[in-house]
Amino acid sequence: MSPMDAAHPVSIVMVEDDDGHARLIERNIRRAGVNNHIDRFANGNAALDHLLGSDRSGSSNAGRAMLVLLDLNLPDMRGVDILAEIKSNPHLRRVPVVILTTTDDEREIERCYDLGANVYITKPVNYDSFAAAIQQLGLFVSVMQVPAAD
Amino acid sequence: MWRFIAYQQLYEEIGRIAMHQSGLARKTLLLFSAGAATLLAIVVLTLLLVSTFRASTETVGQEREVRKSAADIRLALTDAESAQRGFILTKRAPYLEPYTDAHRRVGEAIAKLRATLDDAGADERSAIDTVDKLAQAKLAELDETLQLAKAGDFGAAAAIVNSDRGKLLMEDARAQLTGLIDRSERVVVDNIAASDQAGDRLVWVSTIGGLAILAFAMLATSIVADNTRGLRAARNEVENLNRSLEERVQERTADLRRSNEEIQRFAYVVSHDLRAPLVNVMGFTSELETAAATLAKYFSSADASPDLAAAAHASATLDIPESVGFIRSSTTKMDGLIAAILKLSREGRRELARERVPLADLVAANISALAHQIETSGAEIELPDEMPSVVGDRTALSQIFGNILDNAVKYLDPKRPGKIRITSEEAGGRVRVRIADNGRGIENKDVERVFELFRRAGPQDRPGDGVGLAHVRALVRRMGGDVTLKSQYGQGTTFEVDLPKKAVTKPKEEKI
Repeated sequence: MSPMDAAHPVSIVMVEDDDGHARLIERNIRRAGVNNHIDRFANGNAALDHLLGSDRSGSSNAGRAMLVLLDLNLPDMRGVDILAEIKSNPHLRRVPVVILTTTDDEREIERCYDLGANVYITKPVNYDSFAAAIQQLGLFVSVMQVPAAD
Repeated sequence: MWRFIAYQQLYEEIGRIAMHQSGLARKTLLLFSAGAATLLAIVVLTLLLVSTFRASTETVGQEREVRKSAADIRLALTDAESAQRGFILTKRAPYLEPYTDAHRRVGEAIAKLRATLDDAGADERSAIDTVDKLAQAKLAELDETLQLAKAGDFGAAAAIVNSDRGKLLMEDARAQLTGLIDRSERVVVDNIAASDQAGDRLVWVSTIGGLAILAFAMLATSIVADNTRGLRAARNEVENLNRSLEERVQERTADLRRSNEEIQRFAYVVSHDLRAPLVNVMGFTSELETAAATLAKYFSSADASPDLAAAAHASATLDIPESVGFIRSSTTKMDGLIAAILKLSREGRRELARERVPLADLVAANISALAHQIETSGAEIELPDEMPSVVGDRTALSQIFGNILDNAVKYLDPKRPGKIRITSEEAGGRVRVRIADNGRGIENKDVERVFELFRRAGPQDRPGDGVGLAHVRALVRRMGGDVTLKSQYGQGTTFEVDLPKKAVTKPKEEKI
């Protein structure tokens, strides 16, 4: 039993606008043996509705353990704005956020860590590397401890 | 290119100054030569005139001597004759004394006359010879009568006198002497006239020469003043050119910086957006391989396990169609992106026309093109009574206002009746058009994002490719203007298009 299956089952929130990417990420996470529930959102507003609740206070998720996989390029808003929302929310600020994006711009990476991102991963174009990166992330997720939202 | 032109202007200006300088040197040299020549002419003419004057004065003096000597001869001869008459009449010796004296004076005066007229012409010399001969003959006649009288033969002497020989000789001599005096008088008059003339000429030469030199001096002064003025003007022009050159360099540098940032942003967006479907193509190709391997394994094994059979079934019915579907949709997406980029690139390369475009007509045409959408949404559009016209590219302007109006209609808030208000103003060579709607609005953080290529903001419930406003901004900037927006999220958005009254002709850009 991995720690993620302990007292609080961790649900993975994937914010990814590209259906293909979402599918590939999910497949490779599963291949790593991670069977946690995955909620996938194709745009920022839907993701924020889920994370912060329709009142955007974040209290609706109190007590839940979550891990966010966040793409920075979304159709309706910037990923960094979602990151900032999560990290500035009193309920969600400890939720681990993994940035998973095609952008490898240094300023963008710095900005994400400044805002409190926990991991930043650039999606490799080469699929073998892509699959390896996601599977390693899956392995990493399977051993990490995730606190419940306040 | 523009920089090259500005430098060329500067070089031309400097060249003009240099030519101006060499022209000045030539003019100055010419003036100096003319002044020197005038001065030389005055000196030579003055010397000539002075020498003429001196010669005339000398001649006049000489002729006075001639006249005096001639008069002396005439007087002495008359005295000698008077003394002879007196002695013959009175027969008294004292009368002989003046005679001797007069006789001597005649000789002296003739010698003097001869000396004075020594270098004169042959006419004068022969006149003197005649006078001399006549005087000697007269004196000889007088001597003869006096010899006779001294000897007491007064009768014979009187007879000689009576013969009128002496009288005739005397008249001849007197006539000759009078002729000499008259001639001398004429020469003196002529010479005085000549020296008067020379004096007059001297005055004229001095006056004209002085005026000429004065004129040259004034001309030179005016040329120097002219040149100084020209130099000052040229220097000012060079300074102005230099200043405007710097201004243009700064302006252009800002332009370049902005367009450089746009290019970077564009390259970033394009590479990112093209990479995303590429990841899918490569990923699902691999997934296809995995599925194919499962199938191959299933078909090559004699007695496949139920698990393998299930996996093979899943591969054939789920995984393979899914992968193919994603590959197809990703390539379609890439094709769409490339087509949009090419369209923008073509638009960016299109030479913009410059024609007078009345904005009222243009906006009216845009609105009628959107008539269907406006009717469907039930929106109300408020137009100003009149709108200015601008000089620019009609197609580009139509795309600019068409896109903004299309967005205004597309993103109206269904919760309230749509209102779109268009206003315009013209000031300082610029035209501002505002398109205000009461639609859903744009969040503050997305204000810049909506202008970025392939980026959209807000709920994705309307179709769109994220190209429109990027294209609008590129077009407005190419015409020397800018487009900005102010928005209150949930209340409405106001776009402001700021255009020069006359569009600048910027070099065409190789990008959007």
